[in-house]
Amino acid sequence: MVKERSRLTARDCGAFAGFPGLLRRRPVASPPAHACLLATALVLLGAAGGLRAAPFVPTDDAQVLERLPWRAGDAAARDLASLRAAAASASAPLAAAVQLADRHFDLALERGDPRHAGYAEAALARANGERTAEWLTLRGALRQYRHDFDGALQDFEAALAKDPGHAQAHAWRGAVHLVQADTTRARQECEALRRLDRPALAGACEGLALAYSGQLDAGTRALEQALSAASSAAQRSWLLTRLAEVAAWQGRAQQAEARYRAALAMGVESVYLRTAWADFLLDTGRPEAVLQELAGQEAADSLLLRLAEAGAVLKRPEAERWRRTLQDRYAAARARGDTTHRAEEARFELRLRGSPPTALRLAQENYAVQREPRDARILLESAVAAGQRAAAQPAIDWLQRSGFEDRRMRELAGLTATPAPSTGSSPGHSAR
Amino acid sequence: MTPATLPWHALWRWLALCSLVVGQLWALPALAHKASDSYLALRIQGSEVTGQWDIALRDIEVALGLDADGDGEIRWGELRARHSALATWALAALALDRGGRCTLQVSGHAVDEHTDGAYAVLQLSGSCPAGAGDLTVDYRLLAEVDTLHRGLLKLTLDSADHVAVLVPGQAAPAFAAAPPAPLESFTSFLVQGVWHIWIGFDHILFLVALLLPAVFERRARRWVGVARFGQAAREVIAVVTAFTLAHSITLSLAALEWVSLPSRWVESAIAASVVVAAANNLRPLIGGRRWMVAFGFGLIHGFGFASVLSELGLPPSSLAWGLAGFNIGVELGQLAIVLVFLPLAFALRHTGLYRHVIFTGGSWAAMILAAAWFTQRAFDLSW
Repeated sequence: MVKERSRLTARDCGAFAGFPGLLRRRPVASPPAHACLLATALVLLGAAGGLRAAPFVPTDDAQVLERLPWRAGDAAARDLASLRAAAASASAPLAAAVQLADRHFDLALERGDPRHAGYAEAALARANGERTAEWLTLRGALRQYRHDFDGALQDFEAALAKDPGHAQAHAWRGAVHLVQADTTRARQECEALRRLDRPALAGACEGLALAYSGQLDAGTRALEQALSAASSAAQRSWLLTRLAEVAAWQGRAQQAEARYRAALAMGVESVYLRTAWADFLLDTGRPEAVLQELAGQEAADSLLLRLAEAGAVLKRPEAERWRRTLQDRYAAARARGDTTHRAEEARFELRLRGSPPTALRLAQENYAVQREPRDARILLESAVAAGQRAAAQPAIDWLQRSGFEDRRMRELAGLTATPAPSTGSSPGHSAR
Repeated sequence: MTPATLPWHALWRWLALCSLVVGQLWALPALAHKASDSYLALRIQGSEVTGQWDIALRDIEVALGLDADGDGEIRWGELRARHSALATWALAALALDRGGRCTLQVSGHAVDEHTDGAYAVLQLSGSCPAGAGDLTVDYRLLAEVDTLHRGLLKLTLDSADHVAVLVPGQAAPAFAAAPPAPLESFTSFLVQGVWHIWIGFDHILFLVALLLPAVFERRARRWVGVARFGQAAREVIAVVTAFTLAHSITLSLAALEWVSLPSRWVESAIAASVVVAAANNLRPLIGGRRWMVAFGFGLIHGFGFASVLSELGLPPSSLAWGLAGFNIGVELGQLAIVLVFLPLAFALRHTGLYRHVIFTGGSWAAMILAAAWFTQRAFDLSW
């Protein structure tokens, strides 16, 4: 059981700004008051020893132990409470449970807080009545969230058996196939979305299916078409993010940057967008910008990893503390049997702990389940660093087969020639 | 926890936007995001139970409600006021069983801090009906509320340590106090079986002496290399099967203590079996019925294996598993030898090296060595 976090919170508190030796650099954003109170208590408790707090009995009833991420009076909390009440009675319709679960899942994604995903699944499990396509699709999406891809596909299939025109089930199924690099099956879902007259979804689906099979120009065109059909800021932000990624794979840094900036300017909150943007900045050699853009955003593991990488490159004093915090969090996830973070942990092992063999093992385990371009990249990087390029053979095969043109990845794979246009006849391979 | 399929979660969001208005984003700098865990440390010595259970305040808030004044902050006073409700709720979600249901009480309350926030600490004590035997842990905390919740168990059961991830609502896992599970004894005896055939030089020598002529056939009182691999393989299979069958029978009879023979007699007969097998290569008497020799002497070798097994100490609780494991291990070890021997011998069968050095020279050497063993064992000489 790790106590690292409490001690670190203490270091960041404004109240400790003048405490000699404790705070080396004033943080941009101060943590909430409760953290300081708690941290104060813990620092005082642990001041003598190794700061590994033991259970303690507070003496003051007014002492704040925890600050909840909601307040009873919040609009969102009231919203949630009324949904919960509607779903609570034994005679409540299934749709009420689906609505409650839907809201929880939304909160899980908005805040990156997995507890809400657990609440969502439990709300679905409690529901009575015949399972609808909506119920099945939502459960499938939640299973996908915890990487139970087979279970998710079963749910989407059952949903589509009930309602063949359920666009969300098609879109999710396409997403799972893409995660597993099964572009043929994914394309079938894109076509279904096209038939259902959902141009934005269909374009997004097709664009990524094309991009993942190496046809980056065609993929860009499809994503651009989806962008012009998109109706909301959130849709446009997401599509711009993916377009930026495709441009970066093609080595068009200026275009990628313009698209990332356009997506950021829309102001739609997305951990994914900030993660991808930080990766782009790291890849283009701008770690200072990462520290600026992500300052204070340590709650989400993926953002903390980028901060830690940038901090390590720049030899910042906080880097070591970020590194240890991440290590504790990965250990905590491992302790509960959670394997959803393996690709990220591989990157951590490779870039921050300097342990290529461990990174390679994690990247291989991840690649057995997830095979998107970023998964291929970490597998290649780890294998090359560990001096076992052959261990990345599945990723090299994919690069050769698809002609995926990311220069960095092709160099790692030992495929230095520009790929032939992906007509399927002769993927470029200069090594032999 | 940051699931790595984030882009797809974003996709979900804009699918969901069709029906939902985006709620305003709270700008709360939250603590680390992590799925819900509780930490359960149990120490069971005989029938006495002590332990500590850390449960996140956020989880207690969802299940019981702690934030009485609705200000979004949980204070020590608010938690203290709910201590008895907390104890009742938690104990209803945990059942320990050792020879019957154990009693459990919460003997103290405290607070602790983990990577993702503050936890209530419940000190546990209790007692079980039995002071020995397996312990089952039935864990149901938050089963109806959060499907991703897990209980991280650290258990000391008498002298055995266990760790486990408890999944609410799943079949209660049982933890063994000490003696190894059948599977464990099966595997450990399997390894012993393989090891014994590899270091048991007399068994290997007997087998090899019988297999050396397998790549030959007898024509006009001379050994001639066989034409096809199939011929040699058939002979090898016949010999190995007969040997296996025979020693399995006597190994089982002896291990179950239904038959027993004096070990000096058995060891001498094993040495004699090597002499006979090797001599038959040099001056064939038995003809093509080597499998009968394999079977007959295999019965003796089985008693030899049994004496090793009894030295290893078969646990009475898993006698059958240990015996099966040891026997299968012997067969696997034997099979490995055959798989190396046969292709090599077949490839070399027409060469002078095989015919004169390996076959004739080897048989002489085996016979002399085994004759020395025989003398030593039969007359109990030590030199």
